[in-house]
Amino acid sequence: MSQRLFSRQAGGWLLAFLLLSATAPPTNAAELKLEAKLIWATNDDKSPDPNHKPVDAATAEKLRKVFKWKSYFVVNRLVKVVPSRGSNRFELSKQCTVEIRELEGPRVEVKLIGDGKEVHKTTKALSKGEWFTYAGDDKNESAWFVIITELDEK
Amino acid sequence: MNAERQLKLQAWVDGELPEGEARQVADFVKGDQEAQAMVGELRMAKTILAQNEPEVKLPESGEFYWSKIKREIERLEKAEAPSRPVPWIFSWRRLLAPLSGMALIAFLSVVSLNLVHDNEGDESLKHLVEVENLSEHVGSISYRSQSENMFVVYLYNKEQETEKDPELEPMDETVIQ
Repeated sequence: MSQRLFSRQAGGWLLAFLLLSATAPPTNAAELKLEAKLIWATNDDKSPDPNHKPVDAATAEKLRKVFKWKSYFVVNRLVKVVPSRGSNRFELSKQCTVEIRELEGPRVEVKLIGDGKEVHKTTKALSKGEWFTYAGDDKNESAWFVIITELDEK
Repeated sequence: MNAERQLKLQAWVDGELPEGEARQVADFVKGDQEAQAMVGELRMAKTILAQNEPEVKLPESGEFYWSKIKREIERLEKAEAPSRPVPWIFSWRRLLAPLSGMALIAFLSVVSLNLVHDNEGDESLKHLVEVENLSEHVGSISYRSQSENMFVVYLYNKEQETEKDPELEPMDETVIQ
């Protein structure tokens, strides 16, 4: 009789496990290798900062199709891994940091931090090939961009 | 001496006859030697049996002993039960529980697979975006460029809102697209 009771209990647990596993939403937990770039844009041909390097032609062309500025310069570029269900900080400049957290879905929460203060938060799915871009006006009709993309290689 | 008379004598020796009949048998025995001899043998046998009857002591209490016998009888009855012919509907009932469990698991597996498939195919879920301004001085406008596969959140200083591009209208503090 005890063996039969055990069998029933085991069957119950097995059924509960199968129910949970069958009804649980897919989480697709995985770490993300992300690239974050800080770009400065202007309508001038050159940047006054000698450390700024022009973006590659394909990036410039893509940005010109969406934004009005003529010239785009890379201020900083960081590649980091965001662990599954974890977060990582990309300090692109003294004033500009983004904190990215990997969430269920899979989705990412991107938090923009300016001068140490949280400014904005966006939560969305980030698909490969998609650019997630924070942008804003800067002095003298210029602008800044933070472009986040997921890299293929792990 | 016939058998009926022998039985009468045996009943008399055992004290089982009514008073009147017992008296008649006693008178008969007094006058018959064969009857006296037989009564003597019967009394001797009775005495021997009474004194030498084996007394068996139970190794455990009586209640426990009889309950063991009762359990054994029930066990044997249960063991015999499967041999009895049962209707086919009762034999199917034994398979009903595992079959229904398997059917439920199969159903849930199919449903969950369909859900996964639907989620993968539903592009609108991928485009679900939640934006939130964390600074009271900053407003935001978010939009998507389908052709360039780019999602843009454009931030502006609310205090300089009047100077901004009139095409970029501010949205609510929290926007779900």
